[in-house]
Amino acid sequence: MSIAAHSGRPAAVDRAPGARRRAAAWAGASALLYATTADAGGGPAALLRLDAEGTTILGRLLGQLADLGVRRVWIVTRPAWADAVGREAAGAPQPADVIVAADIADDLRATADVAGRASDRLIVGRSDVLAHREALAGLLADPRVTTGVLATTSGRRGRWAYRTRSARGRMLSASSPFHSIRRPSHFFLGFLKVDRRDLATLEEAAGRLAELADGPGRARFEEELARKVVVWRRRRWQLARAAQTGLWPDPEEIPLDPPLDPADEADVAERLRATRDDAGAMLVVGLVRSGVHVSSSYLRNFFYARPRSPEELAEAQAELAALDEDAVLLDAAVKGADGFFTTYFVSPYSKYIARFAARRGWTPNVVTTISMAIGAGATAAFAIGSRAGLIAGAVLLQAAFTMDCVDGQLARYTRQFSKLGAWLDSIFDRGKEYLVYAGLAIGSTRGFGVDVWTLACAAIALQTARHMVDFSYAAGRHEAIAALPLRDLAEPDERDGPPAAAAETEAEAQAAEGELPGPAERAEPPEPERRGLRGIAAAGVRFITRLEKRPATRWAKRIVALPIGERFALISITAALFTPRTTFIALLAWGGFAACYSVGGRVMRSVAR
Amino acid sequence: MTPLQVYRDDGPLAAWLGRTVGAALRLGEVPLTLLGALPLVVALAWPLSALTTGAAALAVAVLVLVAGAASGRAEPGRFAWVTPPVLRAVEYGAFIKLVALTDGDWMPACYAFLALLAFHHYDAVYRLRHQRLEPPAWVRWAGGGWDGRLVVASALALAGALGPGLLVAIVVLGPVFVAESVVSWLRFVAAERVATYEDEDVQDE
Repeated sequence: MSIAAHSGRPAAVDRAPGARRRAAAWAGASALLYATTADAGGGPAALLRLDAEGTTILGRLLGQLADLGVRRVWIVTRPAWADAVGREAAGAPQPADVIVAADIADDLRATADVAGRASDRLIVGRSDVLAHREALAGLLADPRVTTGVLATTSGRRGRWAYRTRSARGRMLSASSPFHSIRRPSHFFLGFLKVDRRDLATLEEAAGRLAELADGPGRARFEEELARKVVVWRRRRWQLARAAQTGLWPDPEEIPLDPPLDPADEADVAERLRATRDDAGAMLVVGLVRSGVHVSSSYLRNFFYARPRSPEELAEAQAELAALDEDAVLLDAAVKGADGFFTTYFVSPYSKYIARFAARRGWTPNVVTTISMAIGAGATAAFAIGSRAGLIAGAVLLQAAFTMDCVDGQLARYTRQFSKLGAWLDSIFDRGKEYLVYAGLAIGSTRGFGVDVWTLACAAIALQTARHMVDFSYAAGRHEAIAALPLRDLAEPDERDGPPAAAAETEAEAQAAEGELPGPAERAEPPEPERRGLRGIAAAGVRFITRLEKRPATRWAKRIVALPIGERFALISITAALFTPRTTFIALLAWGGFAACYSVGGRVMRSVAR
Repeated sequence: MTPLQVYRDDGPLAAWLGRTVGAALRLGEVPLTLLGALPLVVALAWPLSALTTGAAALAVAVLVLVAGAASGRAEPGRFAWVTPPVLRAVEYGAFIKLVALTDGDWMPACYAFLALLAFHHYDAVYRLRHQRLEPPAWVRWAGGGWDGRLVVASALALAGALGPGLLVAIVVLGPVFVAESVVSWLRFVAAERVATYEDEDVQDE
């Protein structure tokens, strides 16, 4: 362990301790942690103590990272804290070096330096975070995230975190101490994973960002930060006023420099202290604006906190201790946005089958294959063409569908994502369904004397076309997103035209904060007025978006779309109770309606765009 | 090729029409596709008893000529996503209608053939999604593309041999589609490239 002396520029990273084991150290993932934020008392928040033995937040984090395969760590800290952080680094389970940096520009230069040296994926993170190991594992160990961030949509977990906007799994925009954002959707939780192939981009972006916060750029940097503080202060005033009067004040009523009560004043100061040196947020902006595909790993219900005082730390530890990490992990293995039937009738028990399978050491691909085999059994039973056969087929189909949910949950629970797995799962899903259609048609001819092959043909044509609508629409959106122009790093404001005055950022501030939504009519920033067909379509899109906000209408919307869970339930129920003919008519009627609904909605969105 | 172009599944005939006729036309991809599909959509909705195989074949010819002329354009646009599902719906629909018109007893073969086509079409989507690679052009051309398949099917229907023709197509194309796909996945698993996964928008609440 050695501490590099600060000499204006961040000193060259000292590699002495790693030299002996360089091959091993450079081969795996490495991490760069910022221990640059002060706690409420002015000391490094990363060194708040967790217990009597003196374990610090940073020490705990270093252990978690070592456990997740991080073989090399650099810790960037301020000159005054260098000795204390150095002692912590000396006790780290992996080689850890301290880089002393005076300010955020130095932090960014140090990052560029480390990015230039790292040869495999690099984790950039904060060192003042108390979180579940699995929350970090979701980002670090998930092969589906190549370059990505730890993110949440929860305002509580994301307290004071800089916000980002994502669509279709790709980050479109991010904010930082210097950059602002419109219509944010997520909070960036301070951890960033950069793939080997994006390291050169990170290095270049970090170097350019350092210039923004240094030398002649420094004044502009402080100006942008001051503008953010104005937005926060006006927001505080607005909230206090609303609590006092019960009325939501108009944006025009808010003074440019509103008087705040001492508690709010302290809160704003604390927020500034916690966020002004957020180099990680700057880097996210840098990557997004360099055209890197940045995806998100979601916190889900795992614990995450940035305690700012011993009291807050004690509170956070109590909350952390009350959570069963394995139960949270199992819940997180359930797909986030799934159908109604799957969410309420299958996942609640299938996740326990997934855990059972995990303990037995089964792989997801084995479960996928079992599911296909049961599906083939269901097909055979349907093909018998008797009532007993239909009932047996219905039961087997449900069993096959359960195993179908299990394979994905098992993969997420154990983070086993094989290259073949996703394809096998998709192909077998379709294979099962279309095999079952054939089984039903055979059974109908054999046992009920009704030829339903034409209906079966119509059903497979409709379902394939419906999927093709989904695939094509998604491909079109991906193309459109990839074609968006990239903004320059030096542009603080996301909107077009000259930088907005503080008063104009109110709509943004309202949308950005969302900690306490105002009255409904104030919750959405005003949309630009559109006329004619576009206006009608925009109104329709707004209506559909509103349906998403209430659970009842959101579920209704998803059920109408006849997703796979509902489809398989429909097949099972109609086949067991009636005849295959009824099953096909039901599939065609509901599926046809769903097709009209989804095509209509997407045409409307396309018109409004 | 862009994913949307791959999803179209154009054969050599449509590609040629796109290069020649399409290059001279000013109409966009989506209007051409919708216009070309219109007669066939009417034919699909027409009662079976009042429709002749010749009329259906004529509607197919219009589809191939007009929608085929839109092939080969990579027009980004708000409505570009409309084309592939329209082509799939009218293609599958045309097969069902032609079999029903000529000899409904062959409908199980029609189902098997549609299932094979579905495999072919899903396969292209999943490979683009996970391997980030499109299926090689020769597979698409071996399948004839939607245009080639429909022209051959119409000719066979007029000759009264569509049913056996479907059986032959299943026997010939089935092993080609499936074997080529399996080989591509085995090669992908052995390769060093990482798999990519479809991004999903997840809310963590």
